[in-house]
Amino acid sequence: MADNQAATTNGKLLDVTDLWRTYRRGSETIHALAGVNLSLRPGEMVSIVGRSGSGKTTLLNQVGCLDKPSRGSLKISGIEVTGLKEQELVRFRRNHIGFIFQLFYLIPTLTVEENIRLPLVFARKKDEQRVTELIERVGLEKARKALPRQLDGGDMQRVAIARALVNRPKFLLADEPTGRLEKNTCAAICRIFHELAADGLGVIIATHDPVLAREADRIVEFSDGRIAREEILKERQ
Amino acid sequence: MSFMKFALKNLFAHKTRTILTLGSMVVAVAVLFTLVSFNRGYEKALKTQLQGMGIHMMVVPVGCPYEAASLILKGGKIPNHLPMSVLDDVRKIPEIDIAAPSFMSGIVRPEEGRTDIYVGIDSATLRLKNWWKLEGSFPQNPDEVVIGDNVSLIELSGIGDQIYLPEKDATFNIVGKLGPTGTEDDGFFYIPIETAQRLFDQPDKLTAISIRLKNPDDAPVVTARLATVKGAEVITMGELLGTMMTLMGAAKSLLLSIVMIIIVISALGVLNTVLMSVFERTREIGVMRATGAAQSHIFGLVWLETLLLSLLGGAGGLVLAIAGSRVIENVVKRFLPLAPKGSVVALEPGSFLLVLGFVVGIAVVAGFYPALRAARAKPIEALRSE
Repeated sequence: MADNQAATTNGKLLDVTDLWRTYRRGSETIHALAGVNLSLRPGEMVSIVGRSGSGKTTLLNQVGCLDKPSRGSLKISGIEVTGLKEQELVRFRRNHIGFIFQLFYLIPTLTVEENIRLPLVFARKKDEQRVTELIERVGLEKARKALPRQLDGGDMQRVAIARALVNRPKFLLADEPTGRLEKNTCAAICRIFHELAADGLGVIIATHDPVLAREADRIVEFSDGRIAREEILKERQ
Repeated sequence: MSFMKFALKNLFAHKTRTILTLGSMVVAVAVLFTLVSFNRGYEKALKTQLQGMGIHMMVVPVGCPYEAASLILKGGKIPNHLPMSVLDDVRKIPEIDIAAPSFMSGIVRPEEGRTDIYVGIDSATLRLKNWWKLEGSFPQNPDEVVIGDNVSLIELSGIGDQIYLPEKDATFNIVGKLGPTGTEDDGFFYIPIETAQRLFDQPDKLTAISIRLKNPDDAPVVTARLATVKGAEVITMGELLGTMMTLMGAAKSLLLSIVMIIIVISALGVLNTVLMSVFERTREIGVMRATGAAQSHIFGLVWLETLLLSLLGGAGGLVLAIAGSRVIENVVKRFLPLAPKGSVVALEPGSFLLVLGFVVGIAVVAGFYPALRAARAKPIEALRSE
């Protein structure tokens, strides 16, 4: 993943500095994120943990460019994304970020391969080789023409992972990726994450699952929109 | 996979809803296309029929020109009559080539669901309608009759046979038969004018005098002269056409109002279907935005779905209208007092384009709001929706 490394500043794929996301609810001001600092290097896998409402998903939405911060700096691959316009954000999201959701969110009317191909359609690209390669990578060769309703949870998440990877993103954002999966399936999904990180992809996982969290290189614990604790599990070179 | 395929899959994810919406579109388009085609076809058929008569004007009793029009096209009884003396006045006008008097009345046969129209004529009619192909001879004696082509089929009779009228206790010998003319003439019984007047107890009375001019440009001069004849009214074929179209105009306005209501209902149906689909797919739209779809992609996809729905409905409506045009024509004709012979539904490219414009119009109007709403949904909020 030489490309990824070349695109970063100071070797950082993600550089979050004093990031705030504030909402107004009536007269009340809610700081969903309150001065978060976080960085991620290519090939690094980080787990974001914390109670519901602690700011995990808000952070993922910020990093995924689905929402704009109230203030602070957010650099992805060396590009300050907070000032990007809507159209630029769409292109940026398409080329740099892959999303995985707890409920998979596959398009029910599309087959496995069509779901995986969808981001390419939006990007006006045709790369059947990439689609086939990802189908093989997640082990769904026999189910490529199946509809989501014909798959179990684990297979649906595999499709979601392949869909997230099809545009060759720089990092992967996974929100509770194993929340609806059985133990054995969780292990298989974990293996895929490790393989992706080994390929140089940055992986951020928001999870309540302590087993999955400890699979990462680093655990970042959120509380009330702030980083309460950070634990390095594996030192990277 | 193309956007087209994606849109089609989305549409048919809810088959029942889509098919019901398509059904309303099909009906709206079929009605609209039939109405437009009928309007064009009717005017054309009427013109053709009137021009084909070779008659430039008619002298009819003072009254409603509508009755005169009905008389020409369908045959029948009218309450007023012209005195026979009018014919002499008319024949004195030098610009007139042929003045053919007629006396027309009917015998109702409710058990057979029809009215037999008896037309009293003289040899002038034979000269006026020189396109008639008469087999046999023209009636010379009071008890002779010439029958139209349809009459010979209905009565299963031909030259040499007899027709008995129990209502009048009269017997007629068939001496001639008309070849098919494609007009109402095919359905009449032609007897000598004096016989007809006597048969229906109207001696020295006429129903109408059909006129052919030596030069059609003399119509205004002749009309002015005929206007002085007491108890008579002159109607030119142009006026007749105008009167008929005016009469049709009222019915057309009513039909157009009904079609407009159908259009609004079907547009609302399409809007409702697409909007419901957008609501149901809010999170799906959020996922698409998260996976690289721009607002324009979402807008285009939803609009394409509306367009496809409308086009499918439009195509179905056209097929229904074309396939059912003969049935629709027969039904419409039954309710028309002045239905010309032949097809009154003209399936023309102009009508097709008009209907196509209507379909695209529905898609543009009905699809805009749902498409805009879907495109403007913030990805983060869309993903949060249940």
